[in-house]
Amino acid sequence: MIAETVFNQGFEVEGGDFVRGGEASCRILEILKELAFPPSIVRRAGIAAYEAEMNIVMYADDGGLELTVTPDRIVIVVADRGQGIPDIELAMRDGYSTATDEIREMGFGAGMGLPNIKKNSDEMKISSTLGEGTRVEIVIKANHGEVRCEDSRPCAES
Amino acid sequence: MRIPDHALRVDPARCTGCVECTRACPAKAIRVRDNVAQVLPERCIDCGECYRVCPQRAIVPVTTTHTDVSTFKYKVALPSPALYSQFGPSTLPEDVLQALLSLGFDLAYDKAYACELVFADVKSYIEENYAGEPFISPVCPAVTRLIQLMFPALTGQILPFRPPREVAAKAIKADVTGRLNIPEDEIGVIHITPCLAKLAAMINPPTAERSSLDGAVGISEVYGSMLVALKQAKSDRKARSMHHSSGAGIGFGRAGGEVADLGIEETLAVSGVMDTIKILKDLERGKLRHIKYLECQICPGGCIGGPLTVQNRFIASNTITEFVKLFGARPDIEDMMKAGGHEREHFRLSKAILPAAIPPLDADTSFAIGKMRLREDIFRKLPGKNCAACGAPDCMTLADDIVRGHAKIEDCVFIRADGRSE
Ligand SMILES: Nc1ncnc2c1ncn2[C@@H]1O[C@H](COP(=O)(O)OP(=O)(O)O)[C@@H](O)[C@H]1O
Ligand code: SF4
Ligand code: SF4
Ligand SMILES: [Mg+2]
Repeated sequence: MIAETVFNQGFEVEGGDFVRGGEASCRILEILKELAFPPSIVRRAGIAAYEAEMNIVMYADDGGLELTVTPDRIVIVVADRGQGIPDIELAMRDGYSTATDEIREMGFGAGMGLPNIKKNSDEMKISSTLGEGTRVEIVIKANHGEVRCEDSRPCAES
Repeated sequence: MRIPDHALRVDPARCTGCVECTRACPAKAIRVRDNVAQVLPERCIDCGECYRVCPQRAIVPVTTTHTDVSTFKYKVALPSPALYSQFGPSTLPEDVLQALLSLGFDLAYDKAYACELVFADVKSYIEENYAGEPFISPVCPAVTRLIQLMFPALTGQILPFRPPREVAAKAIKADVTGRLNIPEDEIGVIHITPCLAKLAAMINPPTAERSSLDGAVGISEVYGSMLVALKQAKSDRKARSMHHSSGAGIGFGRAGGEVADLGIEETLAVSGVMDTIKILKDLERGKLRHIKYLECQICPGGCIGGPLTVQNRFIASNTITEFVKLFGARPDIEDMMKAGGHEREHFRLSKAILPAAIPPLDADTSFAIGKMRLREDIFRKLPGKNCAACGAPDCMTLADDIVRGHAKIEDCVFIRADGRSE
């Protein structure tokens, strides 16, 4: 059997599509399990990917997730076309949210999405241009020595 | 007694290889090979969907036979609360227990009582130990297995409690040995079960802890003789003392029963295999943090919807509603503990539930990446019709079987017909 070094797959996400929104992160979880990553890593990646995916659904016109896996790292680039984020530092704060009451009613918009992405990733880069879109890069290292949570519980707060 | 190695088997004489079960299996655990369905034990979650859909009745539950039960000197029936729902509201739990005695059991124990007893303690455990992630119910063995296989990261969230049936079986044995001086290995505690999952969990417990149950007989298997025995039991109601449970315990027979008994606000009750998988996917991605307890039951509507039940589950649910009203609120836990001489530690698992994840494509990620790319290539060559004629439920599963070395591309009838394969 051939040892390959990279697996790559892209997923499209439609803004406003709450029905299909979340499918990309679901697939990413399945792929990472099949690629033999330990449960704790898979779960951190799943949580980070899901939050980023739902931000496209909630705040952007359209976009996608691009998963790149090598044996020692998982990179998920989440990019969208949309309104962009005016003040990234503010958006990154715990509990900050511009979600409407309707979105909150659906159980989203607690303002913990971006902070949870940061907590569950080893590196996170975020950039945004007003009126153009947002790009979030999530890196999770698969180096077992660097697992940040001792057990399978993800690092997250509600 | 002969312990089978699995809870169901396929009767090759009846199976026509029609692939109904293969398509229906939510775990993709069935392949048809040489025209006979084969269950892959390492993937099966014991949900019984295959048994429900098989048009040939070729999927056979491997329940405990009459002969096997009769090998025990002292025979105890431990009926699922779902059994009480099978005969309508004029047949009381005490009638059901009495009828079990006339079927030849020496004792019929009200398992519903064990449910409310254990869950009184569960309530305080949750309140003391909730730390921002929901606990998952430990009751339905098919859910436990589903989590071990498909959601390994969530195994740590399964409540570390023994299921009430195990607590009851252990307590009964201690009691009978003490009272009647019968050695434990001569006492057979037989679960009267709505499903295959209980039997499977006995054979193959989710932890290293041995099961205290000795067998399981399907509700549908005793239903006919129960009807006859119930006639007599109802005409002479003197066995009142056999039934202890309140409405709370009887409510465990259907979805929502656990949550109703707990009386904690932030809980959620889900039933049915697809909805259970869906909610676990949400949990896995960090949703549901506000929920403290998640009740999941593989069968639609809970155990009253089990594959080995007889009564229509909506009618059964009405009967449960009647009994919940009739038998009212649960007694105080401290009184129950004292009366039965129970100790809280008997309710807790002594060994952890560990993941039993479906193997990755390769234990080494670099090889797994190679195999995943190969799988994509193979998948692209397949017709994408998901016809299941190859014996796998869909084209992607065939591609997966091929890279894992369990199938070959020529198994695809279209590829074979075209002679396109290389
Ligand atoms: N992709 C995006 N495009 C535009 N705005 C975004 C995007 N992602 C996040 N934001 C903004 O940042 C805020 C905080 O995001 P987040 O931490 O995920 O919390 P929440 O989604 O609960 O509001 C959002 O309310 C929104 O104003
Ligand atoms: S019991 Fe459920 S998981 Fe097992 S083979 Fe049948 S359908 Fe599949
Ligand atoms: S829901 Fe009840 S009847 Fe169905 S598999 Fe689970 S324990 Fe068995
Ligand atoms: Mg968000």
